[in-house]
Amino acid sequence: MKNSSFIKAFREGDIFSKISYLIWGLSNIVRGQIVKGLAFLAIEISYIIFMITSGVQNIENLFTLGTQQQGMVYNEAIGIYEIAQGDNSMLFLLYGVATIVVSLMAIAVWFVSVGSGERARVCKENGHPVPKLKDELKALLDKKIYRTFLAIPFVGILVFTITPLIYMILMAFTNYDADHQPPGNLFHWVGLDTFKQILSGNNNISATFWPVLGWTLIWGVIATFSCYFLGMFLAILINSDGIRGKKIWRTIFMLTMAIPAFVSLLVVSTMLGGNGIINVLLQKWGFTTQALPFLTNGLWAKVTIIIVNLWIGIPSTMLMVTGILMNIPKELYESAKIDGAGPVKTFTKITFPYMLFITTPYLITNLIGNFNNFGVIYFLTGGGPSTLDYYKGAGKTDLLVTWLYKLTKDNNDFNYAAALGIIIFVISALVSLITYSRSKAIKDEEGFQ
Amino acid sequence: MNENKTIGMNIGYRKGTLAFGLFLVIAWFLPWIVDEGKSYGQVQFALKVLKNSEIHMAGKLLFVGIPVLTLVLAIFGVALMLRPSKKIAGFYAAVAALETASLMVLMISAKGILDSAQILERKFMVTHFGFGFWIALICGFATLFCAMRTAKIHPGYILLVILSVIWLFPILWIVLTALREESGYYVGYFFPKHLTLNNFKELFSDTSLIHFGKWWTNTLFVATCNCILSSLIVLMTAFALSKTRFNGRLTLMKIMLIIGMFPGFMSMVAVYNILKGIGIAQTLGALILVNAAGAAMGYYIVKGFFDTIPKSLDEAALLDGATKWQVFTKITIPMSKPVIIYTVLTSFIGPWGDYIFPSMMLGDNQSQYTVALGLNWLTDFRRIDAYYTQFAAGALLISLPIVILFVALQRFYVEGMSGAVKG
Repeated sequence: MKNSSFIKAFREGDIFSKISYLIWGLSNIVRGQIVKGLAFLAIEISYIIFMITSGVQNIENLFTLGTQQQGMVYNEAIGIYEIAQGDNSMLFLLYGVATIVVSLMAIAVWFVSVGSGERARVCKENGHPVPKLKDELKALLDKKIYRTFLAIPFVGILVFTITPLIYMILMAFTNYDADHQPPGNLFHWVGLDTFKQILSGNNNISATFWPVLGWTLIWGVIATFSCYFLGMFLAILINSDGIRGKKIWRTIFMLTMAIPAFVSLLVVSTMLGGNGIINVLLQKWGFTTQALPFLTNGLWAKVTIIIVNLWIGIPSTMLMVTGILMNIPKELYESAKIDGAGPVKTFTKITFPYMLFITTPYLITNLIGNFNNFGVIYFLTGGGPSTLDYYKGAGKTDLLVTWLYKLTKDNNDFNYAAALGIIIFVISALVSLITYSRSKAIKDEEGFQ
Repeated sequence: MNENKTIGMNIGYRKGTLAFGLFLVIAWFLPWIVDEGKSYGQVQFALKVLKNSEIHMAGKLLFVGIPVLTLVLAIFGVALMLRPSKKIAGFYAAVAALETASLMVLMISAKGILDSAQILERKFMVTHFGFGFWIALICGFATLFCAMRTAKIHPGYILLVILSVIWLFPILWIVLTALREESGYYVGYFFPKHLTLNNFKELFSDTSLIHFGKWWTNTLFVATCNCILSSLIVLMTAFALSKTRFNGRLTLMKIMLIIGMFPGFMSMVAVYNILKGIGIAQTLGALILVNAAGAAMGYYIVKGFFDTIPKSLDEAALLDGATKWQVFTKITIPMSKPVIIYTVLTSFIGPWGDYIFPSMMLGDNQSQYTVALGLNWLTDFRRIDAYYTQFAAGALLISLPIVILFVALQRFYVEGMSGAVKG
């Protein structure tokens, strides 16, 4: 619609419509929508001023990422060397991205202004009254309420999610690593070099990447499905007819869910340490003579993490499944019982297919959530035990995300971190694309209305 | 079959009950405990324990009680065969539960009892139990299972009890640690020697290194603001995406889905720089602002719920001249109580457990720390030994209100969640 009236203004519009491509809002002003037209004009003028004063320079800097390295310059006037402020590549990149986002917004306003002017013209020519400012404001709480409601989220996401994201994505194509830290050093565009190093380089980084990727995938799949099936089992168990005090049982298991995850993880992590209570008790009970390396041996730590994750993850699946179990039509079970189906058969033929159908989206989000399960790894092992085979400080239980975190926080290898982020995105996107396109629950958005 | 049902029992399981009960008796004569080549039977060892004067009463009771309970089980197993009655079956199940529990307790306490009395030649290990013990343990569970089946008690209780113990164990540990008078991370026992409330007091004292009160009010402030702002934003976004139709709606949803697939903290460095540009980096305001800015990304659950509210209601209201704003405030909101409570609850709880983001945003500005940052700071290896009990007290203090909120509102949580999976 916007587009069509944007083009229509050129083909069918009068002289004012055509000029309003250059002077935004002119068409509105001529048709009597003065405030609206002036607002468009004001936006145009401020955008032009912004571009002249700094915008163009920002774009130019975005291409070079700075040329003037910080260094010592001899000041002849006072006869000493002094520090000459160089260009800050990081800020250049950030400002450049911001300028591009601002420009895109300006273009959007341009489209809107021309379209709006055109609609006003059509209204007037057909003899309809041109909507007044008051009417248009009213519409913002009625037909166009989505504009009001989405304005804040839109700006928020634009400024604090999309802009930073573009900035970080671009960073993957530079050499902004520990050796190229602004303001002391400049960094430059290097194209796909970072990805090449991570994926196939004959170096420490790709020797870290592949094992970490492998563990991330294994962990994601095991963690998701173990919690899913065991949680389902627990929910069905608590929900079965002979069990009394369902609420009490549910509450007991829910406690771990209600306690903030970082608290329970920190607590469990201290319990599992070499001097932690679990090792103390195991020795006291005579199960072992020396402390078990729950979190300090690569393989042990992986198994421990998966088990602790069960402790945290089962209750949330249980809760969700409980909600769904109540929705399964009771008649299905009754007729199955009459036909002589046992509990196993009712599960495989009724409960499970129903559950799977409904929970596929949940499973996918859970799987992706587990690929990115920062908390469990960070608080339990911190990615450790670290090994010299891996790139700076990465450990045996590091997931891609925790490694990413280490790369940004400890190592300042922003380009590798950004590239990892993109790789994680590609994996998540692939997983969801494949499954979402097959899931009926998603396609059927209107099905429940 | 009919006869079985009429008296409220599963008579078919009696045979199993009796068989496993008899196996338990056989286990009397199998090696119970092995000590440097010598092996003792169950009764033999019980007598040995009984004679020893250094073992306290509870220990003796445990070692003697198990064979006695086995005998009781065997007798009642036979009685159950001869005269099946619901009372006997129930009693049998109770005894079997006691027997199994005793065996489990024996397994973990044998070392403590035997080593202190030095009744064996060597230090006791669990591996020194003979195979008679393991058979007894397995048969104990099997008897319990069959007995519960016979008495028509759901055998799932066995599993639920075991799982509950596992689930509650860490929670019990943290409660006990918070009340422990002896400080330090490493203590060689589970139950504290002396109880105290000092750990809680110290959290709030001015002299301590821990500014728990400050952390707590900081977090409360962030949580309250987040709760209000995020809930409003999420509700509005979900309403716009669910109940209105406009050009680009699907595109917008797709874009948000795609953005959501990037790991969240990938862009935090950039966010930090932007906040620095605005001049509010390292403050709680920054935390609130960024939380609110990203809140809309979590609209799915609420939208899923809104989608289930029949469209015809809205249409009827619109026909009667209501505006969309009125539809939102008069129809959608009142009908969405569960999901609203769910949203408010999660957005209030979120900041209490959020660690990564504040740690990136607040850096080393300790006066602005939230509890998550503060508590994590306490478990650093340089501090953990001195502050472990205070850490436990702090963890307990922040968990308690949330747990209470959560349990009280769990119905809404379940409803909100099941709304989410509907799509």
